[in-house]
Amino acid sequence: MVIAEAGPVLRVQNIRKWYGKHEILKGISLELNKGDIKCVVGPSGSGKSTLLHCINFLVQFDEGRIWMNGEEINYNSKRALYDFRQKVGMIFQDFNLFDHLTALRNVQIALVRVKKLSKSEARRRAMVELERVGMKDHMKKYPAELSGGQKQRVSIARALAMDPEVMLLDEPTSALDPELIGEVHSVIRDLARGGMTMILVTHEFGFAGALAKEILFMEEGVILEQGPPEKILSNAECERTREFCGKINRLHKGTD
Amino acid sequence: MTQGLTAIVEGLPYILPGIGVTMTVVVGALSMGLLLGLILSVLQVYGTRPIRRVVGIYVWFFRGIPLLVLLFLFYFGILASLQIELSPFTVSVIVLGLISSAYQSQILRGAILSLPEGQLKAARAIGMSDSKAIGFIILPQALRLAIPGWTNEYTIIMKDSAVTYALGVAEIMARCNHVASRTYQHFWLYILAGLIFLALTYIGTKIFHIVEEKVAIKGYAR
Amino acid sequence: MEELLFIRQEVAPALLQGLWVSLLLIVPSAVCGLFIGILSGIIRVYGHPILKRLAGFYVLFFRGFPLLVQLYLWYFGLPYVGIYLSPFTAAFIGFTFCSGAYHSEYVRGALLSIKRGQLLAAQSLGFNKFLAISSIILPQAIRRALPGCGNELIYLIKYSSLAYMVTCIELTGQGKILASLHYKYTEIFFIVGGIYLVLVSIATWMLNRIEDSVRIPGFERPKDFVTT
Repeated sequence: MVIAEAGPVLRVQNIRKWYGKHEILKGISLELNKGDIKCVVGPSGSGKSTLLHCINFLVQFDEGRIWMNGEEINYNSKRALYDFRQKVGMIFQDFNLFDHLTALRNVQIALVRVKKLSKSEARRRAMVELERVGMKDHMKKYPAELSGGQKQRVSIARALAMDPEVMLLDEPTSALDPELIGEVHSVIRDLARGGMTMILVTHEFGFAGALAKEILFMEEGVILEQGPPEKILSNAECERTREFCGKINRLHKGTD
Repeated sequence: MTQGLTAIVEGLPYILPGIGVTMTVVVGALSMGLLLGLILSVLQVYGTRPIRRVVGIYVWFFRGIPLLVLLFLFYFGILASLQIELSPFTVSVIVLGLISSAYQSQILRGAILSLPEGQLKAARAIGMSDSKAIGFIILPQALRLAIPGWTNEYTIIMKDSAVTYALGVAEIMARCNHVASRTYQHFWLYILAGLIFLALTYIGTKIFHIVEEKVAIKGYAR
Repeated sequence: MEELLFIRQEVAPALLQGLWVSLLLIVPSAVCGLFIGILSGIIRVYGHPILKRLAGFYVLFFRGFPLLVQLYLWYFGLPYVGIYLSPFTAAFIGFTFCSGAYHSEYVRGALLSIKRGQLLAAQSLGFNKFLAISSIILPQAIRRALPGCGNELIYLIKYSSLAYMVTCIELTGQGKILASLHYKYTEIFFIVGGIYLVLVSIATWMLNRIEDSVRIPGFERPKDFVTT
């Protein structure tokens, strides 16, 4: 039986971004279908983080277009922008939990203030999400009292509470102590199993390889190569890709 | 407007020397404040309990009573009772100096306390006496850290010096006021007074910044 | 015995009257000054460039001119343009705008000290600018600004004594009148000073209580925070 393919959930076309004279993104395009998990890898400074920030318009790109579910996002309309951002969840490298709120209220606040839910409804939903990431017991704690891994899990709960269609994860474990990485990875794996559409920027090759449907190798603002994990990680076409992946593989052998 | 400008131009020869008076008051008060403040801060950090108590009371007293009240208290009250005659200028410097010492002691105390414990430990370990350790190791670092607080203190004293006008010190404010009452151009003359203070504050702050940079220790992260 | 009687009949009523005027000056100008300070602090960080500039000038002049000069401008200077303020009004306005400028600096510093990531996270969840500032940035900034703003309020209590210089007879003014009448400068001004000490101490205690009650883990004051 052939199921008619609904169009891509997220479509990004030809994003270009300059910082002064320096071109950070030189025309990036990509597409995400529902349930796709794409990992972006590459050396520092390649623009991976900037790309994610451009996708949800936290950084204003200079050229390019973005569609969600077939509709183009008009970034000049504040209304359209805020609506779009609710549908795109973002996980930051340095968590960015709201320091003055407990874990519970961190998850709750956007539900109350942006989605306009009632306080009790928001609270119920927040507790569900915290439970989902295993942080229900810590819900009354403030960010300063949580470990890095716990903070990141709360930030995932906070993003999930908004019912996003796409999740952007910007090096979610880069700021964590090695022993705390595992708990965040397991939450992300659960998300993937649940069918969440994701773009994951990471240095964790083993994790990326196991999770992703497709890996994109980025360097100096361009996607040099993209393809299934087996190909990119061990058998890339592009010389540079092979070089980069080879180095990382040797480094990580035995740790993933 | 032209009347105002005329008044200012005519009054300048009389007003400008006031800058010298103000600066003398300010520098005098700050120096006295620094000297006393240094002693007080060291006493407060390294002294015994009773000593810390006494310093605490001193600080509380001089930070809690308004400048104007202290000026009146000293000039009309205490000195008159003791039958000591001092000029308004001297009294102003002393009172401002005492108040400043209270604030500066806290700035320095904060700077000293922010230094890692290891500094004193290491100094003792190589056989330095406490006074040497404090003098050669702790204070040189603490004084550098205190410069921003000191700059702030300078701006405060600079503006407080205008209050000494109440005792009759012939500083900037007093002189501008004098010219104002002669020419009835109060508005412009007070603007002038304010601008002069602003300029002096700005110049002083810039000088402190230069000093801070000159004495900065490379790689010393705050 | 005679001294005590003197105090009861002559000194106390006059000083209490002065204290009342002082409080009438201090409390409203503290509240209004804080309000102006918060408003201008927000404008200087998040406002339209022209507004930012204007607010910047406001702070520059009202922090740069000595308070005494400002008071004189309001009381003796404004008549030049035809506005005649009462001593009390001039003092009140002077204190309000002056302390507002200082509060503005503390608020601005606090707002700038909030990590950029907080705003990014709020935006990523769909908050608009106004909501992000009011629900996320401000609650944190207010806690950071408390020590500085609290300090400024203490200063206001002390500087209210300058109202005497524009002939508004509050506590210090009453003290001066009494003292020169009875030639008892030392005693009277010790009492006046003592009253200010009590006011300042009470205010400090209250501010510490407030800081404690809104304390959040992670927002602690650095140990032995030095407030000048």
